[in-house]
Amino acid sequence: MTWVEFSYLIPIIPFIAFLIVAFFGNKMKEGGAPVTIAAVASTFVLSVLVLFDVYQNGSYETSMNWIGGTGLEVGIFIDNLTALMLIVVTFVSLMVSIYSLGYMHDDPCKRRYYAEIALFVGSMLGLILANNFLLMFIFWELVGVCSYLLIGFWYQKPAAASAAKKAFLVTRIGDVLFLTGIAMLYVKFGTLNFVELEHLMGHDVQGLLLPALLLFAGAVGKSAQFPLHVWLPNAMEGPTTVSALIHAATMVKAGIYLVARSYFILEHVPDAFLIIAIIGGITALMAATMALVQYDIKGVLAYSTISQLGYMMLALGAGAHAFGYTAGMFHLMNHAFFKALLFLAAGSVIHAVGSNDMRKMGGLHKHMKITSITMLIGSLSIAGFPFMSGFFSKDEVLSSVWHAAADNNIYYVLYAMGVITAFLTAFYMFRLWYMTFSGEQRDKSYHPHESPKTMTIPLMLLAILAAGAGFSFFFGFQDFIYFGHAPHVTIVHMFEMWQTWLSIAAGLGGIGLATLVYYKGSISPSVFTAGPGRRAVRHMLEMKYWMDEVYMAIAEKGVYGFSLLMDKFDRKVVDGAINGISSGGIGLGHASNEFDKGVIDGTVNGLSKASFKGGKLLWNLQSGRVQDYASVMILGVCGLIVLMMLTGVI
Amino acid sequence: MIPLNYYLVLSAMLFCIGIYGVLTKKNAIYVLMSIEIMLNSVNINFVAFSAYSGDVTGQVFALFSIALAAAEVAIGLAIFLLLYKRYGTVELNNIKLLRW
Repeated sequence: MTWVEFSYLIPIIPFIAFLIVAFFGNKMKEGGAPVTIAAVASTFVLSVLVLFDVYQNGSYETSMNWIGGTGLEVGIFIDNLTALMLIVVTFVSLMVSIYSLGYMHDDPCKRRYYAEIALFVGSMLGLILANNFLLMFIFWELVGVCSYLLIGFWYQKPAAASAAKKAFLVTRIGDVLFLTGIAMLYVKFGTLNFVELEHLMGHDVQGLLLPALLLFAGAVGKSAQFPLHVWLPNAMEGPTTVSALIHAATMVKAGIYLVARSYFILEHVPDAFLIIAIIGGITALMAATMALVQYDIKGVLAYSTISQLGYMMLALGAGAHAFGYTAGMFHLMNHAFFKALLFLAAGSVIHAVGSNDMRKMGGLHKHMKITSITMLIGSLSIAGFPFMSGFFSKDEVLSSVWHAAADNNIYYVLYAMGVITAFLTAFYMFRLWYMTFSGEQRDKSYHPHESPKTMTIPLMLLAILAAGAGFSFFFGFQDFIYFGHAPHVTIVHMFEMWQTWLSIAAGLGGIGLATLVYYKGSISPSVFTAGPGRRAVRHMLEMKYWMDEVYMAIAEKGVYGFSLLMDKFDRKVVDGAINGISSGGIGLGHASNEFDKGVIDGTVNGLSKASFKGGKLLWNLQSGRVQDYASVMILGVCGLIVLMMLTGVI
Repeated sequence: MIPLNYYLVLSAMLFCIGIYGVLTKKNAIYVLMSIEIMLNSVNINFVAFSAYSGDVTGQVFALFSIALAAAEVAIGLAIFLLLYKRYGTVELNNIKLLRW
């Protein structure tokens, strides 16, 4: 009798909570919040028990047949990776749902909010626990729906409604490719079960590149990697709690999880690793640069999330050989903690200020000490300040990329991009912190106050983890989460490598520069925009590399233009064509006018007129007048009668 | 007894008149009336055949057909009323919604 046998309850409890809250939430206190929180808390407790079981007894699988004879099944697969994800997701969900008590207290639609949160948690846990790709895909789509619903939670705001649509459509591109990849795997192997696939991999590893890349494309959409990252910044239109839960800590990690889960496929296609690493590196650097020019406190965090997700992809792309798997998942765990913390702290600030705009903030430290200090801890962690959790995982990521470079020189470039990203990350995070909490309050129109206890206690708990979770790497994590053979890194060993000092220098350098610019004021921020070249760079960053515009252009010129074309084709199919021919004919006639006015001109004009009239005649078929259609109908009936007479039916 | 053919010829004439009306009249009300004429020509056929074959089914059917025609007129007139409210006309030439 082990706890892991009850693991099927983990997704089911939130689903039941969803039903209860959705139907009876209005009759309960706080719109059903206690039900959701209790459900999430119980899944957290179960996850902890499952973690211990898995730690002792190894992986666990149970399944039942879904569609007989097809090999498709419904089941649960729990290994170390699953157990880790369960803990991360349930813990962050618990913190966020408790925090919501304070943050969403005044919202009139609390029932909908808590119901959707419960639905999301259930779907996310189902995604993690699924034992095959198809089941995973189903939950994958469910979390997509929840993301859509929660981004558009304040659907009365047009920006929120369109952001929800954008997120849904952009991730849909990845989802379709993901499904294609699943289909290819199924055709090739006849099963989608992770364990069975892993066994089959040994025999037949030809032609896996395309399915592997298609699976990765799903991850690109969900985890907001370049070039499909455009939806995540807009997704900040949702409540801040949703941003913290879905768009920082859990759902966007689903893509990372998918890549980690598919490692047994990827290890047979080294090219796929390289592509994953390159996409991850580009995303990390690009998003970090875009975060530099944001004034929206959540905007900075959104780009930071994209950038950190890129980091995880970069680590995973370094490959199992270089322990990228361990590093990526380690960063995933730490990032979930410190980014949830940062978002919730930002939510606390927004709660107090009533605006997202950092230009209105400043000097908030003396009014909201807990928020300020917890956010400082989160910022130090993400900036890679020594001995914070972000420091260890970032260092592991970078050193795994460095290891991978032994086989392929491209990884040196990616390593450099990673270090630059680390520097930029430290800079923009401290820019955010100084602009928000230090100096003088720039907009005096509001009176900031510390948030209620329901909000500050989750902040403090998360801050403890954001600061300390990194040490877990040396006490169990690296022996628990690995692919191939477990890495062995000690703290002493870490500090013997110059790469560690380089990443410390990058982090401290970023913090130092931000301090000079935004705290001491000894360097004016306008230095960065002086001169046409720098202004152009700034403009490019503010326009987000014109990615949205490019997509709009593709959508408008390509898709919409094509529709317009079809529309015109529909309207003027004959008319237009004949007109074209006739004007061509007229042109020709004019050209030959001098050569032989009488003959050529006359003929061509005549032809063109004839065809023009023909066009008119045909055009009249589509007159829109009822009676014309009726005449055609009657003609048809007459024709049928004649036909029947001729063939002797009557 | 009048031979069956007379009825059939009358019916065919009425039917053709109806078709002519449907296809040529500009006013929707006329078109509806023409459709009524076509329906009635069919009814004549029903009754005539029924009387000649001694089977009552045809006459019953004609009754159904009349009831149906009444319903059809009701709906048709309702549609025209709405069309008139919206476009201020029931001239079929002016109502070209079937085409873009």
